[in-house]
Amino acid sequence: MRSKMRMEIKPQRPCMVTGLPGAAGVAKLSADYLVKQLNGELFEELYSDAFPPHVLIKKDGTVELLRNELYYCKNVKSKSDLIVFTGNTQAVSSEGQYEIANETLARARRLGVVKLFATAAYVVEKPAEKPVVHGAASDTSLIEELKEYGVAPMDTGSITGTNGLLFGLAVLQDIPSVCLLSETPAYTTATGRFVVDAKAAKALLEVLTKMLGVEIDMKPLDEEAKLSEEFTRRMEEIEQRTIDEVRKAAASRSPKEQMYT
Amino acid sequence: MTELVGIVASRGMRSIGIIAIDYLIKKLQPKLIDEVYSTHFPVIHETQPSYAAHPDYPGIPGIWLQKVGAALPKIEFYLSDSPRLLLTRGYHANFQGQYEVAEQVLDICEKHSVERLFVLAGYGVGEGEVCCAATDIGLVEELKTRNIGTGYEGPFMGFSGLVLGLAKLRGIKGVCLFGRSKPSVEDPEYPDPQAARKVLEALSGILDLSLDLSGFDEKQPAQPELRVIGS
Repeated sequence: MRSKMRMEIKPQRPCMVTGLPGAAGVAKLSADYLVKQLNGELFEELYSDAFPPHVLIKKDGTVELLRNELYYCKNVKSKSDLIVFTGNTQAVSSEGQYEIANETLARARRLGVVKLFATAAYVVEKPAEKPVVHGAASDTSLIEELKEYGVAPMDTGSITGTNGLLFGLAVLQDIPSVCLLSETPAYTTATGRFVVDAKAAKALLEVLTKMLGVEIDMKPLDEEAKLSEEFTRRMEEIEQRTIDEVRKAAASRSPKEQMYT
Repeated sequence: MTELVGIVASRGMRSIGIIAIDYLIKKLQPKLIDEVYSTHFPVIHETQPSYAAHPDYPGIPGIWLQKVGAALPKIEFYLSDSPRLLLTRGYHANFQGQYEVAEQVLDICEKHSVERLFVLAGYGVGEGEVCCAATDIGLVEELKTRNIGTGYEGPFMGFSGLVLGLAKLRGIKGVCLFGRSKPSVEDPEYPDPQAARKVLEALSGILDLSLDLSGFDEKQPAQPELRVIGS
């Protein structure tokens, strides 16, 4: 892994929020949205041979390597400054994921991070009217705090990838940590790409911003959330229609021919 | 002494890059000055296309038999004095080696004080015959004045993409010229010499190479039959 430092920072009692691309883009969208709304400044870039071996050609024709990024959000009208860890990829190999997570946490310790908030998706079968935000924490007092913000505490389950490792390794390294997971059906397109679920990200950010004590404009995300909701509704419709048609076709066959019921 | 310009290409979409670099090597008769070998170079790639590296499919190592002796997969570097070019004939490493190999290529480019790189490749969507991407927006704008616009947005996989991306990280200026071709589902690397020719024409214009393309063979070669003799 290599890093490119863009500027030195001296944050005051910072909290760290982490969110890399994962199921339904919930974690990444949450992190990106925070950075945008709080005018975060990119201060360090992380590059790794464990990232997928391709680059991105952007719309303006410039090339960009896959990377993870650390942003500094200063004076966010709370007791703490904020550091946000995000990026356009996750490492592919297990070794790479551990390395990136450990390197990020080493930076968290060096910068005096007082609390880490990891974000992730909580995949459910059906889209929820209002996505529930589930949570886990490094100690019982933080679990009690989560309950005060309406978060449903989790005691089982797993969180795969770097988003999960960041929380797990932070716990192991005695960094006070919280993991927030927002419910999403995590629909994918025919080519296997996740459909970004802004509604889930919005639910997560409503809790996260309260816990951080920061205020952000949610209107642009509201618009995105409405689009996500509409998309999800249509996906559900298509799914249901397909099931109905298959059942109808199966029912019209003789019992001997029936394969699906 | 005039600036040494780096030209980099490998197999890739419709083999446009490798056809173009092979023609330059044939035409300019440059001197082979360096080679890179790697344990991450399979002789048979297990993914299709070869540049779609996957950690679970490292490929199969081996050699190619020649009339005399044998050859290993490698990257070759050729130096041309007139015009002053460092030509890199690339090879796709497996997933584990992709970044490492691209970094080695840039080490060699830097050793020879290359300050500007041209990557030759292919694309399969959008308009135009040749489009570009670059390490900075100034270069993109410069190419637009030569009627080479942007036209591809998305991932650029494998060796050539990484060389361009890592060049940017090192502060080396880089441009990619993409020749447009029709993607082939059966064999994504099936050669498209016509598209390669368009890329060479664009390159020749930009670098003022006055490249003689009269001997360029535009015929699509027959699909080579892969003969695995021993294992």
